[in-house]
Amino acid sequence: MSRAARHPAARALPRRLGRWLVVFVGLLVLGQALVVAEVDPSALVEGLGGVARLVADGLPPDPAALPSAGLAVLQTVDIALVATVVATLLAIPFGAIAARPRTGSRLLSAPIRAVAAFLRAIPDLVWALVFVAAVGLGPFAGVLALTVHSVGMLVRLFAESIEEMDSGPAEALLAAGATRVQVFSHAVLPELLPTMGSLALYRLEQNVRSSLVLGFVGAGGIGFQLLSAMEEFQYRQASMLLLVLFALITVFELGSARVRAALR
Amino acid sequence: MSQPLLGITGLSKRYPNGTQALDSVGLRVGAGELVALLGPNGSGKSTLLRCAVRLVEPDSGSVRVADTELIGLRGTALRRARTRVALIFQQARLVRRRSALDNVAAGALAHHPGPRTALGWLPPGERARAAALLARVGASEVAGQRADTLSGGQAQRTAIARALAQRPAVLLADEPVANLDPEAAAATMALLRELAHTERLAVLCVLHQPALALEFADRVVLLNRGRVVLDQACSDTDPATLASTG
Repeated sequence: MSRAARHPAARALPRRLGRWLVVFVGLLVLGQALVVAEVDPSALVEGLGGVARLVADGLPPDPAALPSAGLAVLQTVDIALVATVVATLLAIPFGAIAARPRTGSRLLSAPIRAVAAFLRAIPDLVWALVFVAAVGLGPFAGVLALTVHSVGMLVRLFAESIEEMDSGPAEALLAAGATRVQVFSHAVLPELLPTMGSLALYRLEQNVRSSLVLGFVGAGGIGFQLLSAMEEFQYRQASMLLLVLFALITVFELGSARVRAALR
Repeated sequence: MSQPLLGITGLSKRYPNGTQALDSVGLRVGAGELVALLGPNGSGKSTLLRCAVRLVEPDSGSVRVADTELIGLRGTALRRARTRVALIFQQARLVRRRSALDNVAAGALAHHPGPRTALGWLPPGERARAAALLARVGASEVAGQRADTLSGGQAQRTAIARALAQRPAVLLADEPVANLDPEAAAATMALLRELAHTERLAVLCVLHQPALALEFADRVVLLNRGRVVLDQACSDTDPATLASTG
């Protein structure tokens, strides 16, 4: 009988040491993160007073901000809507080409995936800066920014959905001599329409949130009004706009969840 | 046998893990003939059918459908050749969210390669033909139903109708009755036999039930470890020989 078999404690010791090592390394990593991120609880405590003053200065919310907020809200939603629809229409064929093996292309799958990864790696706010420089201030820059970022996300999600679906019906049509495009439109798309619809709706929800802040960099929407109110110390106006934002996001979240549940 | 509709010669396939799934397999199926293919699990039955339509690429050998050699074909020529060989799977493999009628009509897509079918359109002529095929297989009552609402037997009949929509010369059925109750299984086998005899199709059917093979098939072929060990008429076959192959 081996030494380890005779002494169970000897077997357990390396395992316990390993666990403590993992905890120690984890604490080291967290510690360096707190230092590099300059986490300072005392600054937070000192700042709480300022936050309280800000909240007090913003009450009560100013209803006079509502009329101009209405148009900005519409613009915010429309930026997100156009971007999501265009991105979805582009992502369907590119997602199909990127998906391996049944609808995808051996040659094009990897390059498309790489481009999609690049598009979604850049935050949409950064894309907004790029397009503001390219096409000027205004909502169109916001539409372009959200479209590009959304294409990157949806291509990956659509491709993964195609790869994970039951391949049986697609394989049956391939065996019957159908082309890959026919397989996609007659087997893959009908099966995945609810899933793709759900993903697109969720993307719309994300885009509405993103669209709120695109105005900070001049790409349209209610973000510009909010930024202006804060810079001009119009805190009651700002708090009214925040209430409007809260209502908008809540309505979108609830509506999107219901529609996605119905699609399942 | 005069020129067979399906002629397989010297078909071999070794998988990357080293398994010799098929070892120089040869068999022939004539027009109007139903041949049952039996063998223990892992004997190569499903691999043989999948190699015949090039869903799996064989290492060597020949697969002829009428006068067309399938091995070596690519692209459009392969797609055209595949229309002559219809494959029915153990699971019906229907598009769940589409109707039985649309599923059957989709079987004829290879005959309509234009841009409209690529966008999801089905030719009206094929839809009418699909309705007739569903009636032919005794499933006209489910034409408008979504495929995911069909029973196992109804789904398999719809899959057979889809196979017929291809206008095939050869029907390959891979355990088509494995998931059916005995009554539905017998009805499906009776349908396959009728199609073989009346439509003059060459039907090769993988089965695990020797009793079904002896009752409905004209010939039985026994595979073991990738090789044909028996190939004879059912009338000449001793049931005891097949008893241990399930």
